Amino acid sequence: MRDYTILILGGIVLLLAGAAWRSGGWELVLAGAVGGVKTLLLVAPLLLCAFLIAGLIQVLLTQDKVAYWLGEGSGWRGIFLACIGGALIPGGPYVYYPIAAALLRAGASLGVLVAFVSAKNVWPVVRLPLEFALLGPRLTVARLLTTFLIPPLLGFLAQALAGRQVEAIRENLK
Amino acid sequence: MNLATFTLLIPAGILFAYAWRRGDGSHRRGLAKGGRTLLSVLPLLLLAFTTIGYVSVLLPQEGLQNLMGPDSGWRGLLRAQGMGMLMPGGPYVVLPLISTLYQLGTGLGATITLVTSWSSLSLLNALWEAHFIGWRFTLIRWTLLLPFPLLVGLLAEAWFGGTS
Repeated sequence: MRDYTILILGGIVLLLAGAAWRSGGWELVLAGAVGGVKTLLLVAPLLLCAFLIAGLIQVLLTQDKVAYWLGEGSGWRGIFLACIGGALIPGGPYVYYPIAAALLRAGASLGVLVAFVSAKNVWPVVRLPLEFALLGPRLTVARLLTTFLIPPLLGFLAQALAGRQVEAIRENLK
Repeated sequence: MNLATFTLLIPAGILFAYAWRRGDGSHRRGLAKGGRTLLSVLPLLLLAFTTIGYVSVLLPQEGLQNLMGPDSGWRGLLRAQGMGMLMPGGPYVVLPLISTLYQLGTGLGATITLVTSWSSLSLLNALWEAHFIGWRFTLIRWTLLLPFPLLVGLLAEAWFGGTS
């Protein structure tokens, strides 16, 4: 997955460098690259902190712990716990989707599952330091406040509108 | 040292102290884990930031401000939502890019719509989800979530748009 991303990103960089060359010659090609590296160096101390926090959280909080914690909660309590679990769980989609599938197998409702995935998407504790470092405090705080209700709200909506679909979804799990 | 670095040093220090107090080597493992992650994404970060350098010198600021600037209205938010869905890659690639767009003139609301749309409606992510849980689930979650990035952007503009 990552190698694939590197290839795509490398291709984009080459295309952009080509575009820079066409509109401003080698001077602009150099200016773009230097500008990028300068920005990286500027945020380097912040990135170091962000990665330190992410590493520590991942060691202190394992995926098993979160899954155990979530258990077979149901109703509003289950949705609430799923929001916290989703926010805290570290790892990319190849980590939390298998966990979500495991929760589903263990009997979680549709609302719990939707709340879990949504919380991972909008309140991810491990990603927040990076977001804070790159986008700044004002934007990060504004985003957290405006998206605050999404995970529980979406969990309730999913449960109320499509809760009965959960059996069909469970049956289709590999 | 700027304020943002200082603000991040506090949780880092607290977590490190907590891990160290546990006395089971968690603090060392946490450091190592963070370092390994950083090293493994370093090539990605370099490429992402080079992209940013080029976007900064090539993108006409005026054009961007017309498309997604603070005065671009709900159309700007809609563009941001569409762009977010198409953005490929994890936070190490996408967040630096979004931060550049923000510095080049994307409005606060549009930037928040962009982050929300990328993190919750990204098509690449939907593929992972459908693979592990199934299309039916993805369809339900995706449909319910669809209006939210736009709404969140509108809310952010209304609440925080005035101050800068």
